Amino acid sequence: MQRKALNKKDALWLGFVVLLALLPLAPVVAANSFHMHVAILILLFASMAQAWNIIGGYCGQVSFGHSVFFGIGAYGAGMAVVTYGGTPWPGILIGVMLAAAIAVVISYPCFKLSGHYFAIATFAIVEIFHRTFLVWDWVGGALGLDYPLVKEGLKNLMWYDTKTGYYYCALILFLLIFGVVRWLEGHRFGYYMRAVREGQETAESLGVNSTAVKLAAMALSAALTALCGAFFVQYNLRVDTPMVMSLDMSMKFVLITVLGGSGTLVGPLLGAAVLIPLQEYSRALWGGLGGGVDLIIFGLLIILIVVKQPAGMIGIIRDIGKRVLKQKSAAKGDSADGTP
Amino acid sequence: MTHRSPRLNRWIVFVAVLLMLVGFGSGAGSVMAAEKIIKIGTIFPLTGPVATAGQRCQAAVQTAVEIINNKHPEIKVPLAKQEGILNGYKIVLVHADSQGKPDVGKSEAERLLNQEGVWALIGSYNSSVSKPASFVAERMKRIFMCGASSSAALTQRDMNYFFRLAPTDKTESIEFVDVLKWMNKTKKANVKTIGIIYENSEFGKHAAEEAKMAAAAGGFKVVADVPFSPGATNLNSEVQTLKKSNPDALFGAVLGADYSLLVRTMKQMAWLPNIAINYCSGYQDPVITKQLAGDADFFMGSTAYSPQFASLMPAVAAVEKIFKSKTGGVPFDGDSIQEAVAMLVLAQAIEKAGSLDPDKVAKTLYANTWDSPLSLGGKVAFVKGGQNIKAQSIVTQLQGGQYKRIYPEEMADTKIIFPMKPWGKR
Repeated sequence: MQRKALNKKDALWLGFVVLLALLPLAPVVAANSFHMHVAILILLFASMAQAWNIIGGYCGQVSFGHSVFFGIGAYGAGMAVVTYGGTPWPGILIGVMLAAAIAVVISYPCFKLSGHYFAIATFAIVEIFHRTFLVWDWVGGALGLDYPLVKEGLKNLMWYDTKTGYYYCALILFLLIFGVVRWLEGHRFGYYMRAVREGQETAESLGVNSTAVKLAAMALSAALTALCGAFFVQYNLRVDTPMVMSLDMSMKFVLITVLGGSGTLVGPLLGAAVLIPLQEYSRALWGGLGGGVDLIIFGLLIILIVVKQPAGMIGIIRDIGKRVLKQKSAAKGDSADGTP
Repeated sequence: MTHRSPRLNRWIVFVAVLLMLVGFGSGAGSVMAAEKIIKIGTIFPLTGPVATAGQRCQAAVQTAVEIINNKHPEIKVPLAKQEGILNGYKIVLVHADSQGKPDVGKSEAERLLNQEGVWALIGSYNSSVSKPASFVAERMKRIFMCGASSSAALTQRDMNYFFRLAPTDKTESIEFVDVLKWMNKTKKANVKTIGIIYENSEFGKHAAEEAKMAAAAGGFKVVADVPFSPGATNLNSEVQTLKKSNPDALFGAVLGADYSLLVRTMKQMAWLPNIAINYCSGYQDPVITKQLAGDADFFMGSTAYSPQFASLMPAVAAVEKIFKSKTGGVPFDGDSIQEAVAMLVLAQAIEKAGSLDPDKVAKTLYANTWDSPLSLGGKVAFVKGGQNIKAQSIVTQLQGGQYKRIYPEEMADTKIIFPMKPWGKR
């Protein structure tokens, strides 16, 4: 069997991934754990946004309820360690499966609604789960779950003195979720999702079972989101309801994807690569001044980007690309004319 | 030659400015490290639902640092008469905003310790933030001074580098029940039942649990257990539940703007218990007497400091003058003054240890009883786990907008008004 040659796009991705893998080896980055922290958050939030992108971007169902699945994943890992005193791995597995199952159960009635009404219903679901978890003592209630000091390493998915372990785990998570979406883009199911996004009735008239497609997309999206939630709790060594299961967290899924470019493979990465450093560095620089100066600057920059290019960062890159091409062709045209 | 479009140029300038700012931020720390300074990090909620309280805590630490770094012969607190500590070392503060979120507080603690190179941390007001932030400091063997967080769990973790100044919810719960017993004994108040309203957070939940235990031990029956989401916009159903149970006494663990909302809702629903006592935060915020005016009267709470305590703590006035210049005239409250004490006690310990070795300073903190004219009782001493066993608070009652001392009796300056005056007769 003949091997398929790498196309230019895949080669670029491969180069990018190798670069990311080598990043912690650079002493200047590894020595300064705040930059490493920002890099970990970029990979994590890009993964979260990409998981949301499956249902929100490719399938066109704008969900504000993803913090529920994120929280279920976080509580799965957290309870395995804190409540049952084990390693997080069984909890992660249970959390992922539970998130997918709950996504199907709550999405089935919600998918009977469309457009804004679907989005509003998902808002309500976050509130229901938030309040339930807040008073549910079995999951820690309002006190949350605080991790004990246990042996660091991959077995417990926990590191104290270095962030390199967390960085590589975030990178694996990122590659897994981006890999799944890359695969979906070329798969029949990916075409079904885009068909549903472009017009549910049209897709159904062509034989696509839109409800099944949406439910499968939601289950996959929820499972991957739960995986991100599990990583989040392992990273922060604490979980409580406002941290993971809130409208604030749900908004981050949507904001990053929309800012980067919804329904595209690189959009979530671009969104996270812009928003997360802005959020972290603006807080580091101006947060101590008080009065929310960092948040004001952060908000103004988001407004600036959205106003300048509603298609998100991907739109800005496309604009720049077009301009460069235009300038190149203009330069060629100039030489052909023989003008200096 | 090719020309970039103005739009592209604008983006390049924007990115360049951002990178310069980021570079400047990280570079500034190393320049300061070469001087004779000790960097201390503060983590408070400077934004979010309890931002005003967090900003006052930050101002309190700044006030303490101003006293430590400069000669203030007019101020009667330790280190005020000298300039700096350890023969000329000055303290420089690096501030961070936790936004009241545990994950943000944790990452800011890591940033301050790793990137900014601070020697110790002070914070973080919210118990839920102090917990993970102090965990970071403990792992790195750095001292974490906690002024105001009151969750008893914080000092039950056997940490070596964590020190908390404020009294815990447990101490306050026992004190509240003592007040009820004292009322029944001396005033024939006939208080039998208690209702508890608390924010659903680490602080509120812990306070409620301690309140239930103290009530059971004191022979009182808890007839209402009402949690609410912090930052609530409406407490109608919560107050309705309380009204229906109609307890003789109400214990509240309610912070910031939620406290004003609770009192307003109680007025709107025309309900009052015979006695209402709130845990320190919320009730003792000096802003509430302005927000609620006469409606705030006859409510009670534990108070670690109020300007009406001037006769008990004469050294505070001169310090408060500096503090007020930073807060636009708002005086200390029980929370913010604890943060100033945290900074002053840490500086005293460094001076006494004669070293910047965190282990030596931590041992010194444990080994001594510290003079603290800004604390009720005037002393600070820590026991295993880091709790200040000299922490005291007085139960006060708001009367005519003034915090009047009610209990313990030997510290009282006014008689309690019992039962609370009904809304219609004020």
